[in-house]
Parts: sequence; structure tokens; C-alpha cells
Amino acid sequence: MAGAGKPAAWTAFPMLKIRMGGESRERRMVTIVPQGIVAGSVDAYSNNAEDARGHRQLPLEMAGARLDKPESGGFHWLAAREEQTGEVRVASTVQFFSDRGGKNPAAMFMQQKHELEIIPQPYPREHSRYRANEDWKFLVRFNSKPLANQKVLMETMNGTRAELVSDARGVIMVRIPDDFKAEEPKKTAGGHDHGRRSSDFVLATEHAEGGKNYLTAFNASYGTDAFYQRSLAMGLGFTLLGMIGAVPLLRQRKDAKPVATEATKDGDA
Amino acid sequence: MLKTIFPTLTRFRFAVQVLMLFVTVYGGALLGTYTVDRISQALPSLACAFDKQTGDHCILIVTQHQLHHRIGEALVKAQEITYKVFIPTLISVGVFFSFFFFLNKAFCGWVCPMGTVQEVIYRIGRRLGRPLKRFAPENVGMVRPVKWLMLLVLVLGLPLLAGMGVADNEFGDPYCQVCPSRIATTLLTADTEQIALRTSTGVNFFLGALGNALFGFVIIAALAVRLPFCRICPLLSWNALFQRLSPMQLVKKQHDKCAKCGVCEKACPMDIHEIGQEHGRKAFHEDCTLCGRCVEYCPDDDVIQIRFFGIPLFKSSRDYYKQRVKLETPEGLPKNKVIWLTQAKENRNG
Repeated sequence: MAGAGKPAAWTAFPMLKIRMGGESRERRMVTIVPQGIVAGSVDAYSNNAEDARGHRQLPLEMAGARLDKPESGGFHWLAAREEQTGEVRVASTVQFFSDRGGKNPAAMFMQQKHELEIIPQPYPREHSRYRANEDWKFLVRFNSKPLANQKVLMETMNGTRAELVSDARGVIMVRIPDDFKAEEPKKTAGGHDHGRRSSDFVLATEHAEGGKNYLTAFNASYGTDAFYQRSLAMGLGFTLLGMIGAVPLLRQRKDAKPVATEATKDGDA
Repeated sequence: MLKTIFPTLTRFRFAVQVLMLFVTVYGGALLGTYTVDRISQALPSLACAFDKQTGDHCILIVTQHQLHHRIGEALVKAQEITYKVFIPTLISVGVFFSFFFFLNKAFCGWVCPMGTVQEVIYRIGRRLGRPLKRFAPENVGMVRPVKWLMLLVLVLGLPLLAGMGVADNEFGDPYCQVCPSRIATTLLTADTEQIALRTSTGVNFFLGALGNALFGFVIIAALAVRLPFCRICPLLSWNALFQRLSPMQLVKKQHDKCAKCGVCEKACPMDIHEIGQEHGRKAFHEDCTLCGRCVEYCPDDDVIQIRFFGIPLFKSSRDYYKQRVKLETPEGLPKNKVIWLTQAKENRNG
């Protein structure tokens, strides 16, 4: 299984890397490549639990595990698990297929799948994504119970390393770092991402209980700051230009009759 | 009790518009983060996907994306153009029509947040005593084709060409880049991202500058012109393609007094002169937003009606007309509490 199990170059934490499409870059299918974790399969949970394909175990092939958009599309929670004596390692991520009328995925996200979990609160919806300089919440829990004062490490592909601690409710607030290098050539993701710059981050935490050590990691991609290559000043300037263009419409002609006079006549019609 | 709270159709419509403004602009924040993924993603109104809190978004962004990423790419790869390539587009149109079937053009006059914003600004313009600018019958014909050009070029043509590789990838969603609703609805959520101009490429800059200038023009023009953007909105033309297929229809009977009256024409915010001069199918024009003002201001019984499956929902009435004009002129000038800026200035000058 080429690539499966080998860690990513920038982090030792387990990850699930998503690659769009199969051979023809079909939008209805993705390939999941586990990195830094040895697993026999990838678990895929969809946001339609009643569907026959609500929970599937995707076998790992040469290139990775294939996930196709089932009838009930939408959000999918993906997880790979490696269990050895005294240690459990889990890598998780989320994949979204464009879906219409799909169920709210919040309940599926909160459904317990492993002992130690990091769960986005919420996960970005369609037409949205994690972006630099934005704050996003994550819940850290063990056996469905929030873990307070839990240390969580964040690493990004661009080199950021940070340590966070969960609050009394087990929630961490993650500020996605603005660590894209200015000189870096544009990393495009083909036509799908319209050439936007993208990087990856992973959140990981460890917890020991019952003689076992649990490590869980959640990874996702993130983009540049919302105002990257945007100018508010220019935007306001052109808006003002348009407003000035409309001003002549507001001028009252001195010889014009008030509309009220015409309306009075209409009222008598 | 309803008649006490909503003595006129216009007030009832305004209440619906405000409610729909909250649903479309803030719906995600009020009803749940993933609301937009659960409603339609093919709304027949300019609810914007760039609004991070939107409860739903319009069909035009979906159409552009599918032409760009599916149909256009399939054509250039010389793939077998099967039914499968068009399925997502057909599904989107199907979802759109399942909503449109019931309300027809009323999505424009009752639901669209951009329409609501323009009408609110127009009301402010009336209170400030700004002049009313209207299109005469001989001039309105110059504006009407623009909405079809917007649809054919910006919504359909350029995204398809971008998918085929003929046009730059930045032309993947050109209408969204010029749509004033993108800026208006995001500003309503205190999000300044969309009013900031994209400077990454020349095409992005040009489209963005055009969009910002158009937005600025529309919000000032709306003080004096009723629904300035609606007249060139591609969703108006898109909806017009289907307007004869809905059971919701505007019906006007032939009436002898129409030629001498013309009050409904003055009431119409889209300057549809055909409502006064024609009857039958011609009176229910492609520019109609089913706002119902022509019905309110028709001074004769049962001449103009809004019907659903042939059942009149609202019809013109002389008694209603007499009460209506006491409150407001057909052009929308309120009969009381008007602030005349010019008059105040004259008073100060003695």
C-alpha cells in the first residue's frame, strides 16, 4: 500500500489526507490516504445514519481508501484507527460532498466513535472553510465526557506549532494561524479551488486511562486570511464612485411639480 | 384582526419581506449553522451564498458552478455528453421549480432580500422628498433587454466558456462578482469581506470594481428610482422563463376605463405600462414581481386579480382603492409625515 502509514513530512501526528476524485477527478469520489498511522480500513460515517451506507468501512487499496458520494451525500466523518498493546491511535477528518436537503450533521459529529475525540464545533459548511486569522471551537472529550484542562497541540504544514488548553467545558478555541509565506509560490489545487492557496493543520491530544495511552488527531485544510489579496479601501472607493454616479437622479428640478399634487388628482379618479 | 394589523396588501407584503430578509440573510445564525444545506440551494431570489449566515442561497451560483465545473469541462474533454453530465443541473432546476411553482414571480416581490433593501431605501427617499424618476413607455424598452444579456452572458455564457478553457478561470462565477446582493447581504451581517475588492488578478479586479460601483449606484438610485437593480437582474429573466408554468398568475380583464385611467401604471414599481394598456397574458409582463400594487390601486372591482389555481387571492376593489389612496399615492408617497428637505431649506431662507 504505497503511501499508507508513512507520516507526512511536516508532522509526526497521524493524519488522513484527502485527494479529490479518481482517475478522472470525478467530483463524486475522493481517495483517503492515512499518514503516520497503520490501519486496515477507514471508517466513514455520513450525516444520514438511517441510510444503509450511513457507516461504511472502506478498505485500503494501493492508492488509499475510496469514498464515493452515496445517495445521501453531504458531510462524512472519516477515521482510521491503529491499536497496539497499550496504545490506541486515531486519525480523523471531515469530507463534504455537495448535497441538497441533507440532514444537519451536528448529531453525527457528536455521536461517539472512539474513546478520545476532537470534534469541531461546528465544522465549516459549504461555501465556507477554515481560514487564517479565524477562531474556531473544538470539543475534546473522552468516552463522551468533556476533558477540561486538556493539552492540545496544533501543527501546520507551514510550520506553526502551538499549544492550547481546553476550558472547563472541554472546549478549545483555535486561532487558525496566518503563516503563509509571502514569497511562497502559489500552491493551487487545480481548477476545483480556483487557485486559492491552501495548507493543512492537525490538532492532537493524548490521554491515558485504564492502562492504555490514547492519542487522537483531527486534521483539515485551511486557506489564507479573508482579506488576502483584497483591498477594503479600493472597494469603498469604487462603491463611492457608483454612489456619486447616482447623485444626479436625486436632484429636484426647480420647475418640477411635487408628486403629491398629481396623486391628489389620482385620488379623485 | 389580520386586517387591523395589516390594513393593506403592501403592509402585509412588507412584513413578509422583513421576515424573509431575516431568513435569507441571518437564517443560518437563527436556525442553525447548516440550514443552507438543508433548504434548497436553488432559491428563486438573490439570497447570497457569500453571506456566511445565510439560510439559503440563489440558484444562479449553482448554475454558474455547474456550467463551469461540469458541463464546460465535460465538453472540452470531449467526454461523451450523457444525461449524467446534466443531472446535477437538472436537479438544481427541479428544486428551483418546486419552490417557484407555488409563488411564481412573488419570489422577487416578497422574498428577495435585495428587493427588500431597495424598497426600504425608496421609502426613505419618499420621506426625504426626493424626486421620483420613472421610465416612460418609449424608454423602458431600452432597459428591458439588459436582464437577458446578464443572464445569457454572465450567468450562462462566461462560466461555460471558463469551463471549456476558452475564458480565464476567474470567469467561473462572473455574475456573483457583480451582484449587489453579495455586498448588501454580507454588509447586513457586519461582514466587510465582500465589499473589499479582490486584487489578485486583472479580471477579479475589473469584475469586483464593476460590482462595487453597481452596488453604490443602486443604493443611491433607489432613493429616487423604484427597484433600480431588479430591472436588470438576471434572476428576473430566469424566473420569466417559467412564469407561465406556475398556477400563481396575475390576471387582468379587459376594461373600457383602463385607457383613460392609468393609475395601475403609476403604482407599478417596475414601470410596466402594459398593465394599464393591455389585458390577459400581455398584462402579466416578464418584468412583473407580483408585488400586487397594481391590484391595490385599480379603482374598479375585479379588473386585476392575483390568482392561484384560478382562485382569486387578492382582487381590485373600488372600496379598497379609496382607502388605499388616503394612505399613500400610487407612486409610494405617504400622505403624512413627509420630511421635505427642500421645503425645510426654503423655510430657513425665508
